[in-house]
Amino acid sequence: MKQVLATVLSNSEVLPDIHLLCSPAPEIASESMPGQFVMVRTSEDHDPLLRRPLAIHRVSPLASPIQLALLFSVVGRGTKWLAQCKEGDEIDLLGPLGHGFRVQSRHLLLVAGGIGIAPLVALAENELARGAHVTLILGAPTQDQLYPAHLLPPGIELLVATEDGSDGQKGMATDLLANFTGKADQVFACGPVAMYEVMSSQTSIKGRSVQVSMEARMGCGFGVCLGCAIETRQGMKLVCQDGPVFELEDIIWRGEKGGD
Amino acid sequence: MNLSVELAPYNKRGLQLKNPVMTASGTAGYGMEYAELVDIERLGAIVSKAITLKPRCGNPQIRLAETASGLLNSIGLQNVGVDTLIKEKAPIWSTWGVPVIVNIAGESIAEYGELAHRLEGVAGVSGIEINVSCPNVAMGGMEFGKSPEIAAAVTEAVKSRTTLPVMVKLTPNVTDITEIARAVVEAGADAISLINTLTGMIIDVSTRKPLLGSVSGGLSGPAIKPIALYMVYQVSQAVDVPIIGCGGIASADDALEFIMAGATAIQMGTATMVNPNAPLEVVEGLERFMDSEGINDIAELVGVARLP
Ligand SMILES: Cc1cc2nc3c(=O)[nH]c(=O)nc-3n(C[C@H](O)[C@H](O)[C@H](O)COP(=O)(O)OP(=O)(O)OC[C@H]3O[C@@H](n4cnc5c(N)ncnc54)[C@H](O)[C@@H]3O)c2cc1C
Ligand SMILES: Cc1cc2nc3c(=O)[nH]c(=O)nc-3n(C[C@H](O)[C@H](O)[C@H](O)COP(=O)(O)O)c2cc1C
Ligand code: FES
Repeated sequence: MKQVLATVLSNSEVLPDIHLLCSPAPEIASESMPGQFVMVRTSEDHDPLLRRPLAIHRVSPLASPIQLALLFSVVGRGTKWLAQCKEGDEIDLLGPLGHGFRVQSRHLLLVAGGIGIAPLVALAENELARGAHVTLILGAPTQDQLYPAHLLPPGIELLVATEDGSDGQKGMATDLLANFTGKADQVFACGPVAMYEVMSSQTSIKGRSVQVSMEARMGCGFGVCLGCAIETRQGMKLVCQDGPVFELEDIIWRGEKGGD
Repeated sequence: MNLSVELAPYNKRGLQLKNPVMTASGTAGYGMEYAELVDIERLGAIVSKAITLKPRCGNPQIRLAETASGLLNSIGLQNVGVDTLIKEKAPIWSTWGVPVIVNIAGESIAEYGELAHRLEGVAGVSGIEINVSCPNVAMGGMEFGKSPEIAAAVTEAVKSRTTLPVMVKLTPNVTDITEIARAVVEAGADAISLINTLTGMIIDVSTRKPLLGSVSGGLSGPAIKPIALYMVYQVSQAVDVPIIGCGGIASADDALEFIMAGATAIQMGTATMVNPNAPLEVVEGLERFMDSEGINDIAELVGVARLP
């Protein structure tokens, strides 16, 4: 975990209201694991006050210095500020933070709901490089909100679901899940809380190792403020430090307001 | 150049800090994570998260909400309990070259005394900060700090069970903070820290309900600085023990304002969470200011803003 000032190399709108920001941050990138995140400062003064948590989307180890990529939806003041950063601007990053995905398998099934693709690309890239088989179910409301296939690592098996049927199967990413869980040893998901709730009630998932990346409002991102604590079947856990990746079956949904 | 300050001049053990900058309770945990990020030995002191007799789970989500230059929190004193603190945290603190002050919170006057008693003689603990100002718990907390009689009784209960320097942390959610300050000093407080958070709330217009799981929370950050500063100004003239100023401090200039208002030392909470380096930046900024202004001892600045 380091606090660094990193220079923005590029920052572009790759999808409507979704930005891809690349920056050399070797101190963070070289230590990071898929599923971990960074806390990004999104103002020069005190407003907005808090850093924003963003998943490590991708690490380019071959670039020199090692680059870090973030993929973010512009939803409010902080992300709007970040979207306006230009090449050459400096951003204040704290990371890598949290515990990422715990992989112990040869065939991984990844489930991405919307911007939930962000941490899963890093995971796919790492695991494909290790020779694992990676299947990705990518869901979005419409075709033009789908993460561009050409940015995905080569060798990935891709399945698409759109809510309006403009690409792939019509429906939600979770609708495709039952057909593919049989092949995979482990499932990794990132998306809205509603997606996890659907998953936790699906019978094809029962008894399998399913890891999900959780969200919470974060004050610090490194375990000191206790703002992100959630109740799990293993007791109170900090999303920023014990997570953000948790076993799906450990999450208690009752009273969990989730990441909105 | 002398930045060192004495926080408990009337206590036999004393509490000397190498500089006046501390992290505020609840914003640096037990210091361990923070130690990974910055060189904590360059700080004046670390104040740990409030500890209670038994472990506490804290409040339900949502616990944090951002406001204009501020932060509302309702953590609800989640902590590991004093026994775990003594067994697992204090031994690590005892190896550090920076004093750790333990913030304590009880559900009764007797519990405060018991907490002080358990901490007596524990290596790694350099002082006690009595939290009679937490707005986020149903039992105790801030209610103890709203009445001069009860705040004094808590102070006495703690002082009678410990030889450690004791500071009392006051709540700003009162009509006259100087009245409480006088009462706790009379009861033996070695120092006073102020302020804790201001009670507030936020409503989510989409759900039409309070956003925080516990309805209200405590406001901190730059938004509260002018209030905290004026309270330090008032309290430092009402009592003659050292004052530790806290509330919205994010820069060396902020810290200087508190010192000039009458604070002997300062604490940084929200700023530390957002920018872990901020306390060290303040130490450096104070050094620079003293250097450029030709000031040899930081004590020369304490209370200089007071009008004759
Ligand atoms: C571990 C983690 C990883 C994340 N990774 C990504 C990512 O890779 N890409 C991406 O687009 N988004 C990600 N998010 C969500 C992202 O942090 C929020 O969308 C962002 O903080 C919104 O900030 P804002 O100022 O634009 O919005 P505002 O609505 O103005 O935010 C106001 C406040 O609410 C908090 N907040 C709002 N929405 C969320 C949310 N969904 N989760 C947590 N806090 C929220 C903000 O931190 C802030 O304190 C992640 C969240 C977490 C917890
Ligand atoms: C997340 C959070 C947790 C806190 N926990 C405690 C606590 O356990 N005990 C305490 O006395 N004060 C606690 N406080 C109050 C701070 O120590 C400090 O008094 C207050 O935040 C004002 O200072 P600031 O504006 O620099 O943050 C907490 C504040 C925050 C933001
Ligand atoms: S965000 Fe502060 S403890 Fe998790």
